[in-house]
Amino acid sequence: MNVLAWIVLGLPFVAFLILLAPPKEPPRKLTRALAVAPIGIGFLLSVTIFGVYLSRPGDERLEVSSLWEWIDIGGLPVDLAIQVDDLTVYMMLVITGIGSMILLFATDYMEPDRDYRRFFAEMNFFVFSMLLLVMAGNFFFLIVGWGLVGLASYLLIGYYYDRPSAVAASKKAFVINVIGDVGMVLAAFLLVRELGTLDYGEVFARADSELGQGTGTSEAIAFLLLVGVAAKSAQFPLHTWLPDAMEGPTPVSALIHAATMVTAGVYLIVRCQVLYQNAPIASDTIAVIGAITLFFAATIAFMQEDIKRVLAWSTVSQIGYMIMGAGLGLYGAAMFHLLMHAFFKALLFLSAGAVIHALAGEQSLNRMGGLRRHLGWPTLGFLVGAFALAGIAPFSGFFSKDEILEQAIELGAFGISLAVVGTIGSVMTAFYAFRAYFRAFEGPDREGGYGHLHRTNWRMVIPIAVLTVGAAFAGWVQVPSGWHLIDDWLEPAFLAAPDVKATVTSEVIISLSTFVFGLAAIGLAWWMFGRGSEWRLRHANVLPGVRRVVEDQYMLNEVYDEVFVKSGKDLGDAMARDVEPGGVFRSVKTTVGVFLAAAAGLRWMQSGLVRSYVFVFIVGAAVIAAVVILSGVI
Amino acid sequence: MNTVPIAAYISVSAVLFALGLLGVLSRRNPLLLLLAVELMLNAANVALVGFSRFHETTDGQVFALVVMVVAASEVVIGLGLVVAVFRQRLELNVDLMSRMRG
Repeated sequence: MNVLAWIVLGLPFVAFLILLAPPKEPPRKLTRALAVAPIGIGFLLSVTIFGVYLSRPGDERLEVSSLWEWIDIGGLPVDLAIQVDDLTVYMMLVITGIGSMILLFATDYMEPDRDYRRFFAEMNFFVFSMLLLVMAGNFFFLIVGWGLVGLASYLLIGYYYDRPSAVAASKKAFVINVIGDVGMVLAAFLLVRELGTLDYGEVFARADSELGQGTGTSEAIAFLLLVGVAAKSAQFPLHTWLPDAMEGPTPVSALIHAATMVTAGVYLIVRCQVLYQNAPIASDTIAVIGAITLFFAATIAFMQEDIKRVLAWSTVSQIGYMIMGAGLGLYGAAMFHLLMHAFFKALLFLSAGAVIHALAGEQSLNRMGGLRRHLGWPTLGFLVGAFALAGIAPFSGFFSKDEILEQAIELGAFGISLAVVGTIGSVMTAFYAFRAYFRAFEGPDREGGYGHLHRTNWRMVIPIAVLTVGAAFAGWVQVPSGWHLIDDWLEPAFLAAPDVKATVTSEVIISLSTFVFGLAAIGLAWWMFGRGSEWRLRHANVLPGVRRVVEDQYMLNEVYDEVFVKSGKDLGDAMARDVEPGGVFRSVKTTVGVFLAAAAGLRWMQSGLVRSYVFVFIVGAAVIAAVVILSGVI
Repeated sequence: MNTVPIAAYISVSAVLFALGLLGVLSRRNPLLLLLAVELMLNAANVALVGFSRFHETTDGQVFALVVMVVAASEVVIGLGLVVAVFRQRLELNVDLMSRMRG
């Protein structure tokens, strides 16, 4: 299995190198093949590993393989090692499966672009980094992968480097991700100090006894990891980069900023569950952060006019559900929602991408409407995706989101209050998802009609079709009170997980309320937006203050600009104005002046006259000899 | 066998060294300067060989050989410089070669 896993990891990296190698743009057919094939093959190999593991008993589904010792400093050996267990295989399937679909879509979506090769090279680099993140066998390579996906994300958000907004967005994403990286690295330092190792196996085996339950160290490590989680998974208060990241091409948004990279935080919590079970305060904080994020992101999604930004905020909100579930210890439910979310959010983004492609780059909901009659597959995809996102039975989101809420109810008052927030958020989700759907696809055509629409060809349709099937039916792998294949598969990875099982009562309460209220919200969305822009324009000026605040995303960007960016700039200005001329320049000039003066004073000695040098040399030698002899040293 | 006393070696060596030093200090022609330096080196050689005899070891002789090799190398470079200066049609006078630029 190890060999296969290494191949899965290596293929995208090799493809990345090959794509970068030629000095000029290679033929597009070759680029396409090199873009999709490595990840497609990776998916097939992952399925093979999955199949083999499935035939093994639970406790044998773990293999660690090390290529060589990477470094050994101060008694801390770090191997280039991967760990393939059920959780890793799960993530590999998500990354390569969804990834190959999105890359196939992108081969057509990016067709008009002149930098075809660079895009796919960077995409392959991303897939490699993401696989490294989930396959790493120790915290060292986890952090390496963690940093590399941040780099790939930076490169791809800034893909249109001639657009200033894209460049600004990429820088913002990078800086915020680095804040998270710093948290991760500090957590690793603490682990090294306390346990002297970064190996998953050893850390998790010894964490219970050596870090202790609820001690300061355990909490500190968990909180530092939480910084990484919040930055990477766009959780409050480090979420501001994700909506801006929509400046990247749509397939990038689908793959990196919806399906895979932003769920890395959830993966991390689940991977480090041993550490989090020892840190109750940090875990509760995570759950609360998830709940806050899922709620306020949903309110912002109400007000967005850009179809991709609606989806971006819904991503923030949905990851909030996963983070909340993971914080409450509902690891199976969180991972289940991760998979379902990957299906339906990738589907939504690809459908939106097909629309944007057809409209030659138009993203504003104001310039859409009635597209149902013009675009078949994207409409179906978006509709199914919206149903799944809204959590309406029997689509996939229904099963996974409700599972988190149902199990949360079983966890006492704390869980119940979070579940209430989640349920309200779920209703809001249904509303904004269908607001976007109705405004883009229903009602009359936009003013002036559409003229020529770019056709969607098979390379776009197949991924949408596959993901539509996934978003529609994948939820049936885990049915309340029926069967739970995901939990069964992940069971060995969750040896320490609390065995929370939802009761029938809570299932009925949650399912009914999300279903009924969700349908009501969809009806409301239809009433408000389904019949053209009339109602919307009539009520555009209701509560202008509230609208402004929500549209401005609760002013967090402005606050950050004011507090961090502006104060940083002020500090830089002050340094340049006051400290540098007086401190740096003066001291440098003084030093130089001292040496110049000394040189001027000593320059006469360098006469260039060989014979005078000899004379001085001989006299000097004679004097030293005389001193030595007279002082009686010898 | 009548051995030569160590004092004789040292005296010869001292005289040679003084002559060489005098040459270096008084001559301006680089060729003669090289000769004088060679004289000083050989004065050292005489002393080394003399001490080697006195202590009845071969260390001094080995050193003398090393000095000869170094002296040969030094002469090669020195003569090279002299030839280079001569080609520029400059006067062969070390006092006039006191500037490194140009």
